Amino acid sequence: MQSETPKKIFSSLLVIILDVNPAQDTLLSGEIKLSSILSSVVAFANSHLMLRTHNKVAVLASDPNSCDFIYSDQDELDFKKKTVSSCKMGGSQYELFSHIDRSIKFNIVKFLKDAAEEPHMSRDTVFGASCAKALCYINRLQSNLFPGETMNSRILIISGCDNEGDKYIRCMNTFFTAQKQNVAIDVCSLTHDVTLLKQACYITEGSYFRMPKLEGLLLYLQWIFLTEPSSRKKLVIPLAPQLDFRPFCFCHGTLTAIGFVCSLCLTIYCKISPICTTCEAVFKVRSAIAVKPKKKKIKTTTVNN
Amino acid sequence: MDETEVKEYRWEGGYEKTWEEVKEDEVGNVEWSVKEIIEKSKRLLATRQPNVRLGMMRHLFVIVDSSNSMVEKDLKPTRQLCTYKLLQDFIQDYFDQNPISQLGLITTRNSSAERISELSGNRKYHLEELKKTFGDFNYCNGLMSVQNSLEIALSVMKMLPSHTSKEILIIGSSLSSCDPGEINTTIEMLKTNNIRVSMIHLAAEVRMFRHLCNETKGKHNVIVDDVHFKHILWSLVEPVPLPNSVDASCVKMGFPQELEQKPPFTTCSCHLAEGGKLNAKGFFCPQCNSKYCELPVECKCCGLILVSSLHLARSLHHLVPIKPFIKIELEEGSSAYCYGCRKRIKVPAENVYFCESCKKHYCDGCDIYVHNTLHVCPGCAVKRDEKR
Ligand SMILES: [Zn+2]
Ligand SMILES: [Zn+2]
Ligand SMILES: [Zn+2]
Ligand SMILES: [Zn+2]
Ligand SMILES: [Zn+2]
Ligand SMILES: [Zn+2]
Ligand SMILES: [Zn+2]
Repeated sequence: MQSETPKKIFSSLLVIILDVNPAQDTLLSGEIKLSSILSSVVAFANSHLMLRTHNKVAVLASDPNSCDFIYSDQDELDFKKKTVSSCKMGGSQYELFSHIDRSIKFNIVKFLKDAAEEPHMSRDTVFGASCAKALCYINRLQSNLFPGETMNSRILIISGCDNEGDKYIRCMNTFFTAQKQNVAIDVCSLTHDVTLLKQACYITEGSYFRMPKLEGLLLYLQWIFLTEPSSRKKLVIPLAPQLDFRPFCFCHGTLTAIGFVCSLCLTIYCKISPICTTCEAVFKVRSAIAVKPKKKKIKTTTVNN
Repeated sequence: MDETEVKEYRWEGGYEKTWEEVKEDEVGNVEWSVKEIIEKSKRLLATRQPNVRLGMMRHLFVIVDSSNSMVEKDLKPTRQLCTYKLLQDFIQDYFDQNPISQLGLITTRNSSAERISELSGNRKYHLEELKKTFGDFNYCNGLMSVQNSLEIALSVMKMLPSHTSKEILIIGSSLSSCDPGEINTTIEMLKTNNIRVSMIHLAAEVRMFRHLCNETKGKHNVIVDDVHFKHILWSLVEPVPLPNSVDASCVKMGFPQELEQKPPFTTCSCHLAEGGKLNAKGFFCPQCNSKYCELPVECKCCGLILVSSLHLARSLHHLVPIKPFIKIELEEGSSAYCYGCRKRIKVPAENVYFCESCKKHYCDGCDIYVHNTLHVCPGCAVKRDEKR
């Protein structure tokens, strides 16, 4: 017996990326304990699930060496199997919440134990890889929707990191992919302003928020990040900070307003150089003079090196 | 064929056209073959070799067949409107992925050809010109002339410096071309100028068109349906390997910062035709101080291309392509989790893919997603030792 038209289902998938890098000074100084951040995250995940029956949530833990799911639909499957076998059909919502709580705490301990075995070669959390995994996950769930189901997806990064060292191209690739697929990246920064993460919000039209003080993480999360990005305009939410998108030149590392870009590898120089030090291309010097001959009178300051 | 006959499947219209590509002796397997063609086009991108020199600075002319064959309804709603829609997306994607490149549009109808937009990096300009001409549903008429179109493109591209990648894309719908002279002399001219000609044909393979593409080292494709059309167009958005004879160059560009003016506000140069917009915020050309409300744009006053570093970052992924994953066999009954999406891969019913650099397993879906869309291997991204 098939129903004629599939019911319209709206759902929302939230993927939380939790920075558990032990080098975060908030954790080092003991101002905030990882366990209290975790409880806030679990409570926030539950609030998201309570908004709509079909809402979904996944959590990734991330540090300088690795990133891994600490809660995903695989854990949810385990729960469904268990509740069916013990004849409690479906399981109450309360039971699901305590299952999420248990799984996350069990998996994070495993993650931290594995992480402790390898020394950290760097202080930088792998945000690029975490976002890449989150997007793969979103892509899979998106392609397995029921007929008639539409799903919004978003990523929330919670971090107390102050470093900028993650690989630029990788991070940018994931941010642009997120933008193309309408996945907003939200950032809740515990202490520092991180330019890389601000760019993620800017590109994907997510919200960036830096906590003024360390207390009340859960309240801030629920105040700012519980609503869908599309309906946040109605709320009074701190505005994203202005960003400067002028590049730093490769040769001196200074901000550049007029630059010379290698046509093969897009490296930016502030002066014309005869060769590209990144890809070893040799430039024809004359070709740098004009990009395009214009019919109108051009008052270019001609560069003759 | 009966005009009123309603086609049940979208691709049905396609497979009679690409009959040559579908193996005729296995008529029972036709559906499978069509699927295979589409599958192949999906994986097209994943096979690129790393470490080839790419032409990041491209000059591309798109020649659009505007003959009366464009009114056919085998693409929905018509060939013309389907092409129009996909071409608009193509122009957007082209400039997203090729921020320092230029494009020009040529249409061909009534046995002649017309340059409807000049080579330029201004996407709005092309979209507007396209709308005025090909976007009008009465526009298509008469016969197409491939040679006349190529000659127009040639006359402009001959003048271009040697460090750019020169390409022509023909979107063809007619099975013949109304040419004034010997096409082979034109082909020779294209070859001496290092111009690559590719073609997407909406109906069938024509030997002369295939010859033209082969001789100039371009690609020739016949589409199966609109989805396939879209995939092929998307594959042409990616920069192509550069012939060795082409030189590198240094392109001068401006990177203006968004600044807020104190009143009185000035109008922007980009909307001068509409009287200009009064805006407090704007981007100011670092060379001549003209004001613009949007980037990227080519400065109307001094010709400098104005971009933000984000526009360049958008195409950097072409320079660090990901090696194809290899398909591996796991023991029956063993299970693997996909490193990307954490799907439990059922062996042997589902394929397992393996990244040789990070030694992680991936599922079928992630293999395609990582190579075609994401351009980042999640496993490789946690490694520290790599350069970028
Ligand atoms: Zn410099
Ligand atoms: Zn270079
Ligand atoms: Zn690409
Ligand atoms: Zn304007
Ligand atoms: Zn200017
Ligand atoms: Zn996967
Ligand atoms: Zn890998």
